[in-house]
This record gives sequence, structure tokens and C-alpha cells, in this order.
Amino acid sequence: MSSQAPSRGKRWEMGELSLYAGALGIIALFTLVCRFYGRNFLTLTNIQNIITQSSIIAVIAIGSSLVILAGGIDLSVGSVVGMVGIFGGLLLKGGTPLWAACLLSLLAGTVFGALNGYLVSYGKVPAFIATLGSMQIARGLALLLNLGKPISRFPSELGLIMNAKVVGRMPVSVLYVFVLYFFMAVVMSRTRFGRHIYAFGGNPNAARLSGVRVRRVEMSAYVLSGLFAALGGIMLLSRLSYADPNAGNGYELNAIAAAVIGGISLAGGRGSIPNTLVGALILGSLTCGLQILNVPVYYQTIVTGVVIIAAVYVDKRGERRAE
Amino acid sequence: MFKRVIALLTLALFASSALYAGQVKNYADINIGFAGMTLNNEYHITLANGAKAKAKELGVGIDVQAGDQHASAAAQLVIIENFLSNQVDGLIIVPSASEGLETALAKAKEQGVVVINADTLINREVAARAGLPNIPFYGTNNFEGAKLAGQYVREKFPKGSQTAILTGIEGHQNAADRRNGFIEGAGDAIQVVAEQTANWEVDQGYTAAQNIISAHPDLKLIFASNDNMGIGALRAVEEAGLKDKIAIVGFDAVSEALELVANGDFLATVAQYPSKMGELAVENIVKAIRGEPYADYIDTGVKVILKANVDEHKAYLAKYVD
Repeated sequence: MSSQAPSRGKRWEMGELSLYAGALGIIALFTLVCRFYGRNFLTLTNIQNIITQSSIIAVIAIGSSLVILAGGIDLSVGSVVGMVGIFGGLLLKGGTPLWAACLLSLLAGTVFGALNGYLVSYGKVPAFIATLGSMQIARGLALLLNLGKPISRFPSELGLIMNAKVVGRMPVSVLYVFVLYFFMAVVMSRTRFGRHIYAFGGNPNAARLSGVRVRRVEMSAYVLSGLFAALGGIMLLSRLSYADPNAGNGYELNAIAAAVIGGISLAGGRGSIPNTLVGALILGSLTCGLQILNVPVYYQTIVTGVVIIAAVYVDKRGERRAE
Repeated sequence: MFKRVIALLTLALFASSALYAGQVKNYADINIGFAGMTLNNEYHITLANGAKAKAKELGVGIDVQAGDQHASAAAQLVIIENFLSNQVDGLIIVPSASEGLETALAKAKEQGVVVINADTLINREVAARAGLPNIPFYGTNNFEGAKLAGQYVREKFPKGSQTAILTGIEGHQNAADRRNGFIEGAGDAIQVVAEQTANWEVDQGYTAAQNIISAHPDLKLIFASNDNMGIGALRAVEEAGLKDKIAIVGFDAVSEALELVANGDFLATVAQYPSKMGELAVENIVKAIRGEPYADYIDTGVKVILKANVDEHKAYLAKYVD
């Protein structure tokens, strides 16, 4: 891959097509099966539910996608969600105004991301190891900050961050998702930063030789990942009006799953961030649809696993043929 | 003509309001959403099975859902939202975090759905903030259960027997109630020489017990606030070759613990009646939906399980296995 914007060969478009077809297929299938059983799937409320329920993972997955595009991985985001929730919760309980608590929480996440980024890009610690460590540290901090206890009974404005209604009955959380993804789509395809991430993830040496300031680019992917994780943490805090030190447990894997289903290659440098949103919505539709059909939770996790593998298996069709 | 129309309209209004007031939902039209804490342990599976059995008996519809691996307030909110978007008539909630359901309860309130709380009490203040100050609760009194176990210990052990207590997750109300109930029940029969939290987990119970045993060679009794930690403690006691010297009392009466009581590895465990909670929750939520009087609070009872009555309890449980 050169240091140009992602080249979109025919094979890649095929992958995208099967992703969209898969997403529509899942929705169509649930709509039909639900109708057969006399239940509602494709209603306006339910579509809003799916987007709201997926919104937190979708936002975190922007950061995860960036890091994966840059050839790395960030395992710490779930713990950062928990840590930010407790941190923001304590600030609010201490009388900090909402806007300031949000800003400080975002800052906390960004600092964590910077720590990851520094370790990986300047320290040369493998991303898996660096973020595995910081995942433990963030979870420990989440527990330590309030001695393992959850925090509840927040002022009601907190709930507005996620639940305030814009345009009719649509919750504002739906808007965040689309605005953020639109913004990132533009950044990745129209700015130098976007091109450099692709270039670095595709071939770090070539990128360095062609003048990309590789360490800075790599580090900034992790910084942004921390920032988006913190945003996810604030969103979760607002959605529940409840801060739990164990919150966000496993979110890193859901965010990676969303990116991978969306076709972002774990090898780095290949994939498109808006498709991560499709991945997150597929995961959200699965949970919602299977729950509406009252499928026992054991099968739900199996189905999710099958879909993750199937998405990548279909995406690799071209490679299999090439061999 | 005009008068006649008015008269007809008035009549129609009366008739329809009378019809509306007298309108009771048929059993077959009732749908209940059961939002469980988790379905990856036996206790909660039994609770859900009790609810399902009662729903089947009454001929009402029930959907049972719970979070996947961890008890999580976020996962439970999603489940409740999905129930509400499919217009359930009532919600039975076994909260995964007693303070974490404010948003979910507010949504239930907004939609006017009946809510009943089973097993673990939803924090009253949080429920009141969501606009539902009087959610009926059917569950165990953990303090009384542990106290009964303590009283049994008091009959069996001489004064001042060295005792260790393994407690649950710090901050859980159940953890505090079980510890305090046991200490009150056992009175001066026990001298608590060690107290460790093992977070309800087998492996942590094992490690904690290992450390306690090596620090207190004269230990006579371990009270584990749940069976899992007791099972861990039993491994440590067996390894140290002290099975004849140290007795173990658990709590929850999971099936493994019943086997252990039957073969003498556990001195006792405390049974709750999760299936009864499920049955009562369904029975009463159906009454509430149909506008009939229903119970605000039911203590579903506890029982100390010993070698003498373990078979009887196993026979009772067998009815609720899938």
C-alpha cells in the first residue's frame, strides 16, 4: 500500500457489498421472523433502541478502528469506560458542574490514550502488551477511586447527555453516532492525518521513508482511542445514571468485533471507518432481535460469535481464491 | 334529533367507560418480561424456571432474558428496553445492581408497566427517583437465613470456638446481611479470628482459606457467605489434612453444596427458595395486571440444610429442573 488514500480495488468493494447485504439480510430476517411470531422488530422505537443501544460501542469502536488501521490494537478501552464513569461520577458528586466533569473525564481518557501511545510508538512495547497492562491499571483505578463501590443518585441533567430529545422523539445519542462517524469519514479520506494512518498501518517502513512522522501518527491513534473510550464512558454514565467500577467489562472486544465485522483488517492499513458503524449496528441488531424473539442468552452469544467469523470469512473470499 | 344524538352519545360514553372499567385482560393476552440477573448459575436458573412454570400453569406468556456473562446494569437496561418496545404488560426484575436501574425503571414507569422485584431488593431511593416508590418485593431475608445458621452453630459448638468468616463483595447488601446475621445467631459460641472477602468466588475462597488456616492452627469453623467460597475453602481444608478439625457452613444450597452436606464435607448450608420467588412474582404480577389485589412484600423463607434433611430438599428442587 502506498502513502496515498486507501486504494479501493474491486475486491474491496465486493467485501463492502457483502457487508451491506449481510446487514440488510439480518434486519430483513428478524423482521420476517418477528412478524411470524407476532412481535415487533422494524418499528421506529425499535430502530431508535438499536442505535441507542449500539451507540456506546459504536463510538468506542471509532478509536479501536483507528488503532487497528494503524496496525495496532487497544485492549484498554473497556476499562477506560469504567474508570471514566467512576471518575466523572465522583466529580459530579463532589459538585463539579456537568460540563467541567465531562471535559475532565475526556481529558482523563486522553491521558490514558497518550500513555498507551507513548509506550507503543516511542517505547516500542508491543501494542497488545502495552494495552493489556493499561487495561489492568485502568480497571484497578476504577475500583480504587471509590473503593469498589458504585455511585448512583445523580442530578437529572446527567441523563440528558444521552436521552435529550432532538427532532421529535429521537434521542440525541443517535445524532452523536452519525455526526462523529461523518466527521471521521471526512478526516480519514480528506486529511493528511487520515492518509498517514493508512500509510503507516499498511507499511510502516515505506511510510517512514516517504516522510510520514510515523511515531507521531501512531501515537495519535492511541490518543484518539482513549478520547473516544472516555466519550463512551460518559455516554454510559449518562445512559444509566449509575457509575459501576466494573462497567465496560468486555467492551474492548465488542468494539474490536464491530471494527472487524465492518471489514477493518487486523493486519492494518485496510478498511473504512464508516463500515465499523455498520458492524456495531449489526451486533446491536443481533442482541435486540434475538432478545425480542426470546432466544435464550446462551444461543445469543453463539450467534454473535458465528456472525463475527462469518463476516471475516466472507471478506477473505478474494484472498482464498488468489491462493 | 339533536337531543337524540346527545343522548345516544352520552349512552355510548357511559357504556364504553363501564366496559373499560370492567375490562380485565384475559390470561392468554398477558405478556410478562422477566429480566434476570444472569442465567449462568444454578440459583438464577431455578428462579427463572419457577417463573416459567407458573406462567405455563396460568397460561400467560413470559419472556426470560438475562445478561450474558457478567451481571451488568447496562445489559439489563437493554433487555428492559427491548421488553418495553414489545409492549409487555409487566416486568419482573432481578436486579444485577440494586442501584443501577434508575433509567430502566423510569422507562417502565413512563410506559405504565407493572414492575415486580424478586430476589435482590432494588434500592428504594433509586426506585423512588424513577417514580416507582412502591415496587413489590418477594425474596429472602438474608440476615434471618444466616442467623438460623448461626443458631445451629451455637447449639453444636462450645463457647469461643475459633471461627473464620468469608464474606461476599464489599458493598453488597447481601454480603453484609449474611455476615451480621451469622455473628448474631452464633453469639458467644464463636470467636471470630479472621474475616476475609472472597468476592463470592471459588478460587478466592480457596486462597483466603489457605492463608487463614496457616495463620490459625486452632480454627474450628469456617462460615462462607456463599457455597462457592465454601467449596474453595473445603479444597484448602482438605489439602491441609484438617477435614476432621474444621467444619464448613455455606449459604445458598446450590446442588454441589447439597452433595457436600450429604457426604459430610459441609456441616450445613442455607437454602433459599428461588423457584418460589419466581412463582410468586408471576402469580402476583398477573393479579396486578388484571387489577386484582396483590402482595407488596413476601418473605420467601429460608431453611438450614443438614445431613438429616438434605434429601427432602433435593426432592423439592428436582421439580424445577428443566
